[in-house]
Amino acid sequence: MGEGIRVGLKYCGGCNPEYDRVALARHIEESLQGKVAFVKPEREGVRLILAVEGCSTACADLNAFQGMEIRVIYNIDGGKRFIKEIRAQVESFADHGK
Amino acid sequence: MTMMTAEQYEESLRRLNLVVYMFGKRVENVVDDPIIRPSMNAVAKTYELAHSPEHEDIMTATSHITGTRINRFTHIHQSIEDLVKKSKMGRLLGRETGCCFQRCVGMDALNALSIVTFDIDAKHGTEYYKRFMQYLEYVQEKDFTVDGAMTDPKGDRSLPPHKQPDPDQFMHVVEEKKDGIVVRGAKAHQTGAVNSHEIIIMPTLAMRQEDKDYAISFALPSDAEGITYIMGRQSCDTRKLEGGTMDQGNLLFGGHEALVVFDDVFVPWDRVFMFKEYEFSRQLVEQFAAYHRQSYACKVGVGDVLIGAAQTAAEYNGVEKASHVRDKIVEMNHLNETLYCGCIACASEGHKEPSGTYCVNILLANVHKHNVTRFPYEISRLAQDIAGGLMVTLPSEKDLQSPETAKWLTKYFKAHHDIPTEHRMHILRLIENLTLGTAATNYLTESMHGAGSPQAQRIMISRRINMQEKQRAAKKLCGIEE
Repeated sequence: MGEGIRVGLKYCGGCNPEYDRVALARHIEESLQGKVAFVKPEREGVRLILAVEGCSTACADLNAFQGMEIRVIYNIDGGKRFIKEIRAQVESFADHGK
Repeated sequence: MTMMTAEQYEESLRRLNLVVYMFGKRVENVVDDPIIRPSMNAVAKTYELAHSPEHEDIMTATSHITGTRINRFTHIHQSIEDLVKKSKMGRLLGRETGCCFQRCVGMDALNALSIVTFDIDAKHGTEYYKRFMQYLEYVQEKDFTVDGAMTDPKGDRSLPPHKQPDPDQFMHVVEEKKDGIVVRGAKAHQTGAVNSHEIIIMPTLAMRQEDKDYAISFALPSDAEGITYIMGRQSCDTRKLEGGTMDQGNLLFGGHEALVVFDDVFVPWDRVFMFKEYEFSRQLVEQFAAYHRQSYACKVGVGDVLIGAAQTAAEYNGVEKASHVRDKIVEMNHLNETLYCGCIACASEGHKEPSGTYCVNILLANVHKHNVTRFPYEISRLAQDIAGGLMVTLPSEKDLQSPETAKWLTKYFKAHHDIPTEHRMHILRLIENLTLGTAATNYLTESMHGAGSPQAQRIMISRRINMQEKQRAAKKLCGIEE
């Protein structure tokens, strides 16, 4: 099995986060093992940027990623939705490939 | 090099040859001295977090000179977003260290000089801005910690600099040479002075023509010949010499202040950013002060730590559900978040100066700092109320370890059945540290007098309020026509 979709992981600065952003990112990566690989957002081959924001202000600077597909999450529910969405995408891709 | 790591920062300090005195003796190894070391750790945190993916978004910025990624502490604010991120960075680092991390004052000096040197050149056709930009690029490239030094000893407060019986009470020029100037004087209360690579000097108040020899600004390496540092004491400072892991409260971080003496120090012209242009000294003081008053965003982060400690102490004591305790915790949060409102507001309402630098809203920055002179005291009072008297009557860690007394301390200082006595003692020591120990130097008295005492903010508030507009609004509503 390959490493999966390369997702560029971008955090906000974490001045006053409402939850543990790093723990959530780790949980997402573990839940999507084999389907996604988190890499530095500026790395080659990134298909998607995942912005993990500490609160709904969502102030991470995403200007460098203009034109790219970006997902923004700012709470644990957002993380769960992201996991679900990626799983659905991967399954849909697999079904079409049959 | 663009951004140093914490380890590189520490090594860079070891290469400095600072003349530091403490307890009447020369400090030969500044970096490893147990009294000073926690303050170095706090500055090192500003380097460490800049390399952390989960913090780099506010800890770093893009240099407007070179386009490279730099530590935000060497950055010149290029937008409102930069100003807001500066406030957020203060809260983050205050919470991560529980103390003053010392590096904001240099950032504030750099930003103020980026505005004022430009404005002096516009009026006088001088080349200060060009010199300053070359210096700034050097600071950014080296990722230096810079001490911004404004406060002169001031002597007799009723007299201007030129009338002081001792002219050295204010930093001044004693000799003008072909290749530079010679200066003499001192700067007091210098936070983080011996953890800095560079020191920037600014005048301490608005100067008149008669005081033009005192209207000077310049930068020097912190170990330039003729500079001497005399460390200030902090309440409970020698607990750091006792060893152990409890009685100093904050085990990792702290702050420091020093008196910095300039005994006929030579400054080359390329490091001089103001030379007798006395009419710009007020602007430099006011804009530096406004930036630095914004910087008290850090106290919100330290407040986060104290609130967290008070809640923990309440839980350890088994009183966290009592309605009056819950109400006190709400009040502490209300005060702390009110402080946060001020530092975000003065940033959000900032503006662009002719040099291109963004400056905070000066009125709101002063209002913010004025709140800081009060609220941490009330937050501390509430924390002490919740913690209980044991916070100041607790025996030492050594008594907890002694075979003769350990069983009694463990037995009689046990509160909640699930919580080890040792944990209860740790959290009480942290509250002690923040409200009357070494960290109270920064959380309380620095909140009062740092970046200007309360009256300085009241003067600025009175100057900046648009009273005519308030009166117009009132008169219009009640039918007064003039």
